[in-house]
Amino acid sequence: MDTVTRRKFLQLAVGTSIGTAAAFLSIEEIAAAASARPLLSGTPILVVVTLYGGNDGLNTVIPFKDPIYYSSRPDISYKQESILQLDSQYGLNPSMTGIANLWKGGKVAIVRGAGYPSPDRSHFSSMAKWQSGSPTSHSTSGWIGRWIDSQPDDPMLAISLGSVLPPLLAGDKKVGSALPLGGLVIPEGTIGADFRKLSLPSSSDSKLRSLAANSMKDLFNISETITPILKRPETKEIELPTINGGNAGGDSNLTQQLNIVSKLIQADAPTRVWSVSLGGFDTHANEANAQSILLGSVSSAIDKFMSDLKTSKHGADVVVLVYSEFGRRVVGNASKGTDHGTSGPMFIIGDKIKGGFYGDQPSLSKLVDGDLSVTTDFRDVYASVIEDVLKSPADRYLNNWKGRTKFYKAG
Amino acid sequence: MNTERLEIARLYHRFDFGPRPGEFASAIKIGATATRDKLFRNSQPDLGLMNIPEILITDLGQRPSPLDPSLATFTSELRRQNTELTTWWLDRMVLADFSLQEKATWFWHGHWATSIKKLNFALPMYKQHQTLQKYALGNFNEMVSAMLDDGALQFWLDGQENTAKSPNENLARELMELFTLGVGRYSEIDVKELSRALTGIQVTRSSGDITFKKNRFDNGTKNILGASQNFDRKSAGKLLVSQPSSKLFITERVWFRYISSQFPAPDSSNLESAFEGREIRELLFALASSDVMKDSRYELVKSPVEWFVAVCRALSITPSKLVKNSVLLNYLQKLAQVPFDPPNVGGWPTDDAWLSTASAQFRASFATWLVAQGDISPIENLTPGERVQKTADLLGVVEWSARTKSALEGNIKSSKRLILLAICSPEYLVSA
Repeated sequence: MDTVTRRKFLQLAVGTSIGTAAAFLSIEEIAAAASARPLLSGTPILVVVTLYGGNDGLNTVIPFKDPIYYSSRPDISYKQESILQLDSQYGLNPSMTGIANLWKGGKVAIVRGAGYPSPDRSHFSSMAKWQSGSPTSHSTSGWIGRWIDSQPDDPMLAISLGSVLPPLLAGDKKVGSALPLGGLVIPEGTIGADFRKLSLPSSSDSKLRSLAANSMKDLFNISETITPILKRPETKEIELPTINGGNAGGDSNLTQQLNIVSKLIQADAPTRVWSVSLGGFDTHANEANAQSILLGSVSSAIDKFMSDLKTSKHGADVVVLVYSEFGRRVVGNASKGTDHGTSGPMFIIGDKIKGGFYGDQPSLSKLVDGDLSVTTDFRDVYASVIEDVLKSPADRYLNNWKGRTKFYKAG
Repeated sequence: MNTERLEIARLYHRFDFGPRPGEFASAIKIGATATRDKLFRNSQPDLGLMNIPEILITDLGQRPSPLDPSLATFTSELRRQNTELTTWWLDRMVLADFSLQEKATWFWHGHWATSIKKLNFALPMYKQHQTLQKYALGNFNEMVSAMLDDGALQFWLDGQENTAKSPNENLARELMELFTLGVGRYSEIDVKELSRALTGIQVTRSSGDITFKKNRFDNGTKNILGASQNFDRKSAGKLLVSQPSSKLFITERVWFRYISSQFPAPDSSNLESAFEGREIRELLFALASSDVMKDSRYELVKSPVEWFVAVCRALSITPSKLVKNSVLLNYLQKLAQVPFDPPNVGGWPTDDAWLSTASAQFRASFATWLVAQGDISPIENLTPGERVQKTADLLGVVEWSARTKSALEGNIKSSKRLILLAICSPEYLVSA
């Protein structure tokens, strides 16, 4: 490791105060481990943002010229003057200033009407379909998990922030890693050595027992690489609503999660896929304010993330994908909220993205059973992400799905 | 693998919360059949539970406004009640002599997964717990009926927003999908019609009391699952439970949480017929008596609470006496499982989800903290040469792998460290 790289690493590792580096006794070893296989500049990095609970798409990308939008939900619609206009007909929720700016920079693709055939209005079935990438036949593995299966063993390859691994990153043979927000602490000394022994494979191990042993082994591997990078001040999170819409999963501190991801990307972590999440979108009641705060948090967290990475050599390689398990009903309910619906917008954000709208906006005058139609199958988006971002043949992971959405700049 | 040992270990770790010192070794002596009979024989009153002091959970009334000086008292009392309620339940899991019922209550809590996060009051959750406790081994029809009168569940799924004028489908959908029938066993029209039948409820959030308002109830004819009448929540609940698919669904759920989340039941017809009368105890007994108990394929990862409670039982730890409660709850939070706070209405995940690198870390430090406060004398009192095998008996582990055996054998001189490694081993985390 040359001096410049090493200094840079230390700066990333300990923030502004280089003096605290002394606290990390094995910093040299750890830095060496991180730089042993640094991610090369130009290797695309995927960041998947899952919004749990069913985000109301109509109040995210708002068709402000459509009178049916206003007549369908008088209590919870946004006035044209408050909306962040994207073009002459559509605009973003007033809280999404960060993403609106990225849109102006041509870095945001919005896929309208995204979903899958025969929409399921259950959070769990619908999220299972989105995360498995297999909406028409049952699959226990995730679409990224199947890609992990095909890659060489590496606990750093795909990492989810939080303690519980989302099904998205579970393959049939291998799984991604989970990283708690507070960093990792491992048993040290001789007890550490004993724990390492427990993490060795055993010929009598079943699938679950070998996963249990592996989780310990990966803990040691990952901890050595990234613990020092995480020892930086945490971003203070704004308070998010939890009273309503709190029953469908997801984490609550997206800014903090993306902050950690950004630090690790800047430290050249050899990670190709990151998974982060935000919960609370299940807005059956008193939706307007709650959803707006949540969307504002998504928007500012992503904006900050992109700008943190701007000067990094990986800044141009990052592609952020945002989705939720379904949109919500067009017509508001009597509780100033909306019930579970069908399609919704997906966002794909990055320097390598051709900004603009993809897919048709579902018509408000031609509803299917009172719900928005699905105009783009999410597998089109996944297939393009696998090919363009993960540089792998999509057919293998998506059961020969043929559709594509061409939002990625060539090359 | 020794199938007798396997069967007994499963009785203890699936239908119970794990053996207490000496129990597993005695069970091996009397055999699987006698152990099962003992487990299913309800020895009321439960002396273990009777020794737990009652807790004071009261109606705190409406939350004071932000400017009200009484807000501080209110919040600290609310926090006390929430913490006490959680540790009280953990105490019950650990101290119960008749754990079959406690374990089933835990199962049903994950089934009707309601979170204190949304209620933000302890009393309604306490009342729901009492209902689940009461029917945990009882009749499923009666349970459904009682749960539709449960204020916490109603509030959790927006039942109070569901009126004749404007139905809110949240409760109706989850009632069919997650609580009684299973996904795909009803139509979208059934969801809409059922939500009409469930209208009329209002909930007092702080107490969990419900009231029925006639003027909010949809008094028309509803068509649910091919039946047509002026259904209300009682008759609609009964209709759902009477469906053959409810028999299948509850059998599937019990299988999923008690036996295997990885493999479906090879043939569930015996189990379904045991559940014909919707008696939960009979279903569990049929399951515990079936040959699947001897099939080594059906492993299950202990969830964090199950792991913690099993460790407490083995090391004679009383959760509320751990120093201190806030540390305990913090560990459970880090491991992503706190009683009364499931992540969503589908309940907690299973298996692989608990085997992340993050959980491996927190479990190791949680285990260290627990062993330091536990009673290790059952192992400490033995000669070093006996300790590895006797630790398997203490914990109800079927057998150690060569890998774990070697790690444990390096520590036979320190019982504490031996137990620490044993409770973090793959063989303990995963219930054989």
